Amino acid sequence: MDADLKRHAAVLRPMGTVLSFLCLLIFVACSPSETPRAAETFNLRQVTDEAGRTVSVPAKIERFISLAPNLTEIVYAVGAGDRLVGNTTFCDYPEEAKSVQKVGDTLQPNIERILALRPQLVLVSTSSQLEAFTRQLDQHGIAVYVTDPRDLEGVFRSLENLGKLFDHQEQAEQVVNQLRERATSVGETVKSAKPVRVFYQLSQEPLYTAGRDSFVTDLIRRAGGISVTADVPEAWPRYSQESAVAARPEAIVLPTGGSMGSANSEVATGLKNSPAVLNGRVYKINGDFLSRPGPRAVDGLAELARALHPEAFCK
Amino acid sequence: MRTVNTEAIPDRSRAFPALDGGRVTLRKTLIVCGLLLISVFAVIMMTSLFGSERVPARASMCAILSLGQSSCGLTLDQSTILLEIRLPRIFLAAAVGASLAAAGASYQALLRNPLAEPYLLGISNGAAVGTMIALVFFGAREWSRPLMAFTGALVATLVVYSLARGRAGATPERLILAGVIVTTFLSSAIVFVTTLMDATRIRSFTFWLLGDLSGTTPSLLAVAILVAIAGTIVLAVNARSLNLLMLGERDAFDLGVEVKRVRLIVFLAAGLLVGTSVASSGSVGYVGLVVPHLVRLSLGSDNRIAVPAAALSGAIFVVVADTVARTIIAPRELPVGAITALIGAPLFIYLLKRG
Repeated sequence: MDADLKRHAAVLRPMGTVLSFLCLLIFVACSPSETPRAAETFNLRQVTDEAGRTVSVPAKIERFISLAPNLTEIVYAVGAGDRLVGNTTFCDYPEEAKSVQKVGDTLQPNIERILALRPQLVLVSTSSQLEAFTRQLDQHGIAVYVTDPRDLEGVFRSLENLGKLFDHQEQAEQVVNQLRERATSVGETVKSAKPVRVFYQLSQEPLYTAGRDSFVTDLIRRAGGISVTADVPEAWPRYSQESAVAARPEAIVLPTGGSMGSANSEVATGLKNSPAVLNGRVYKINGDFLSRPGPRAVDGLAELARALHPEAFCK
Repeated sequence: MRTVNTEAIPDRSRAFPALDGGRVTLRKTLIVCGLLLISVFAVIMMTSLFGSERVPARASMCAILSLGQSSCGLTLDQSTILLEIRLPRIFLAAAVGASLAAAGASYQALLRNPLAEPYLLGISNGAAVGTMIALVFFGAREWSRPLMAFTGALVATLVVYSLARGRAGATPERLILAGVIVTTFLSSAIVFVTTLMDATRIRSFTFWLLGDLSGTTPSLLAVAILVAIAGTIVLAVNARSLNLLMLGERDAFDLGVEVKRVRLIVFLAAGLLVGTSVASSGSVGYVGLVVPHLVRLSLGSDNRIAVPAAALSGAIFVVVADTVARTIIAPRELPVGAITALIGAPLFIYLLKRG
């Protein structure tokens, strides 16, 4: 009896070891990995992000990740780029951003790599539509700050907010002041010019444009234009070619070039007889300026204004 | 000409609403198809009056009937909208609808399976992968798209067919299972190819995958229309053999059908139909399923009438569905595949319950 038990025990012991090892593995894998952050918990502050969420972030942020190219541009502009430990494959400006560890693209970031980089904060832009992903990061106890710029002032606000977040308030304010000055001077230059009716062709096939919630609609207005799709719901609606033709745009803007390559460099077929095409008023503007609500949006604004009102800039 | 009397065959095809829908004569076929053809043109005229922009009805009719020779008082913009945007899109919808419905009807007869449909069998996905490969590798050459789509559709068909044929022959369950496997495999392939593409092109692709009739070029439209007509005719010519094949391949063979040849012709013609429509408009689901079923319920399942009638009804179905897609949230648009699925799925459930 006793010998039997011993024999059983001898068989069971290795199994037991394996089992307990497995348990340990599962325990380690499943227990919330709070340990590295636990030390910082006493130094947290509460901030409200642009989506109205309350976020707890460490007083001093040493490691963070950006999941959108416009946010990457903003953090470099406010001087916090040296603490950026991860960004996306779309983040190609400024030059330094290219050598930062990539965590996937803006549409499909990799959660494992993000966790492995142990960020104290992840920056997300509403334009990337990452609500589900944001929730996932929340569950892993990673603070997520969401920005939601819907016009140029919103872009300035993002710059200021992120400046505050990274303790670079002064630099952020300087940058915003310069940008605002440039934007105002562009606005002044085209102020007295007659507004031009603009169709913004985000993509040719299928046809997409900028709608009510897009910051591009604001840029067009500031550049002395009126977007013919300014009242269409959504930020980037899919748009009827018929309606684009019927709107009779005086100018068509094609965001193209830059990281977009040669995509979207032609006007949609239906618009061939539009006043814009007939009068040669089709303008290709660097898509990176116009599709990223970051500091270079002001460059986009300046190019737009020059295109729409060349006469105003000749004086 | 083979002279096999279809009506004399003992009724063994209970899976279909039998070959008893009255005697199918050439006269009946011509009358039914003539009426449907008139309906197709009536629907095209009707739907050309709807769009996100209003174009005066009387002038539109006049401009269309004059084949664009006379402006009939339309402004330049209005005639651009009507003749260069709206009508080509409606014709593409008709061609795609006819192609998918005719292909669906013949797959159902050939494979003796009422659920056989290009979309459910993975054939549409095969064509989609082909189109995407064409776009990635031969982006500029437009003709490569329908060609690669056709190849993709054909490869998918052959894989599904050989998977479905077990030692005990192809049972309906095996066929659907094979279809599901191929569909999911190809869906993953699509996701994989998507990641190889430019980020900026992904958005237009997700839209295209759901069926998008907006971006056609005159040459693609011409190909789609020609293939729809030619493919349907080829399938209709083989309809008598398809009738016999519905009894089983062995019985059909005994009755003098060259089974292998007919199977090859149907696979080629249907693959061409599916490939061309996917290349020009993405995957528009449910058309090949719902339309042939409605046709068989109302006209009987003799393929000599069911195949051409399905093609014409399919044209009507997709034209109407796309009119909804482009007007319901105007000036924004929905993918037509979403509408055909929204109409198709409930209709199909209703048919199943009733049947």
